[in-house]
Amino acid sequence: MTLHSRLQRQTVKKADALGRLLNKHTFANMLANDTVGVKPTQPVRGHLFYLGSHVRVVAALLIREMSTRFGSKPGGYVWAFVDPAAHILFLSVIFMAISHTPALGTSFLLFFATGYIGFQFYQAMAGYLNGALSANRALLSYPNVAPIDTIFSRYILQLGTTTVVAVFVFSAINLSLKTPLNIHWPFILEAALAASLLALGSALANNVLFLKYPLYEKVFGIVTRPLFMVSGVFFLPDSLPHPARDVILLNPLVHVVMLFRKGFYPEYRAAGFDAGFLYSVALPLLLAGLLIFTGSRRSLRQ
Amino acid sequence: MIKLERATKLIRVKGFTKAIINDVSFIIPRGKSVGLLGRNGAGKSTLLQIIAGTLELDQGRVIRKGKISWPLGFQGGFQSNLSGEQNVRFVARIYGVDTEELVAYVADFAELGEFYRAPVGTYSSGMKARLAFGVSMGVKFDYYLVDEITAVGDTNFKQKSQKVFKERLRGSDVIMVSHSASSLRDYCQTGIVLEDGKLTYYDNLEDAISAHESNMKRPRT
Repeated sequence: MTLHSRLQRQTVKKADALGRLLNKHTFANMLANDTVGVKPTQPVRGHLFYLGSHVRVVAALLIREMSTRFGSKPGGYVWAFVDPAAHILFLSVIFMAISHTPALGTSFLLFFATGYIGFQFYQAMAGYLNGALSANRALLSYPNVAPIDTIFSRYILQLGTTTVVAVFVFSAINLSLKTPLNIHWPFILEAALAASLLALGSALANNVLFLKYPLYEKVFGIVTRPLFMVSGVFFLPDSLPHPARDVILLNPLVHVVMLFRKGFYPEYRAAGFDAGFLYSVALPLLLAGLLIFTGSRRSLRQ
Repeated sequence: MIKLERATKLIRVKGFTKAIINDVSFIIPRGKSVGLLGRNGAGKSTLLQIIAGTLELDQGRVIRKGKISWPLGFQGGFQSNLSGEQNVRFVARIYGVDTEELVAYVADFAELGEFYRAPVGTYSSGMKARLAFGVSMGVKFDYYLVDEITAVGDTNFKQKSQKVFKERLRGSDVIMVSHSASSLRDYCQTGIVLEDGKLTYYDNLEDAISAHESNMKRPRT
């Protein structure tokens, strides 16, 4: 119990220290005429003021999310890193028992980790973003907290979190390998970014649609549950027979995972990977999400 | 200054549509506190939310010059598993005021003692109300929005709150919704009467109160 509360206090302290830092330095200039003791005569408020206000709110929400996401559990935000790492370990053990050689390279652990983390850049993000608005609803009664701020703060936090997980997991795997990893960064970064944009686009739409159509939320949950099975996480789409392969390549996440794996396996050819297809899904989805979100801002605060 | 330009806000309730404000233009000048009067359900609180910016207009626009508060004593934004202090930090951050200064101010004002660092979920309703009032008083706004002023705490705390609020109003204005003429007289100089989607501005609060009272004698349309 004492350890529990001590750990919790520590994470909270860290988050608060980060907040102080942000407050003192980054925004000091922007806030020069907007702090305690505003003069009755008003400064002219340009675009920079509103941008500054958004940056401030997003930073504040970020700190708040960090201290509340795993608030009641001992260890606090550490769980955001431990959970996916443990998942990878479990999966690897299970699949190692079923099959003897991975589809690529010689390490099971690396094969699953590349699939799983590539996929997580979408899945963890989508899951977290879909609840952004409903979890922060009360805060929208503060007039300067805009609905979009709740999405942006979660986007930044989750992108950072999955990145930290990836660095930890792959550093650990690298130590276990006989020949060190030969990493091609551009593929990895591009895959992570594309995955997160897919999640952002769909979440912008979902935050609105879940609110309006509770039934759609259920349907969305049912339809997207098997995504993990059909995104090429524990198999290579290249090795599927002809009709199945063409079908599975319609899933943009398959392309994300392929691109991500290309960054770790220089010998992997990723037959069927189509960047054009990936972006022709991700970018219109993002645009549609933004339109739906801004189009219904009137109803988002209620 | 707060300016409404051709503002219309409709409320849709199961099939029928009612205009809370209908094509209204007016200016609330800086330097005078305003009391907002109207019958029950006329839309006073809605108008307050529009001024604050938490509700969007259906037509027209609001121009705000100056920093406008959330409704005074609002508690809905507190997260119950965070401590009072952490909640105060959050407010300080979103409004860009010095966090330490505000934390110290509220600690002193709200008199929560040890509870200041305990989760808000463990507070009594009185403690929560004191915290909320403390935060509202700790941030300096140009306009304070008040939806039915509610006295919190014991007699000492009430007196202190009133004193601090009056102090604040030397440099700031208040836009107040209240059914009580005496609390309006306490804080406001001018008045706005909201009736049938129309706003009437009175330079003198007393005129607004008598206009409102004569409205109340007529049946609802």
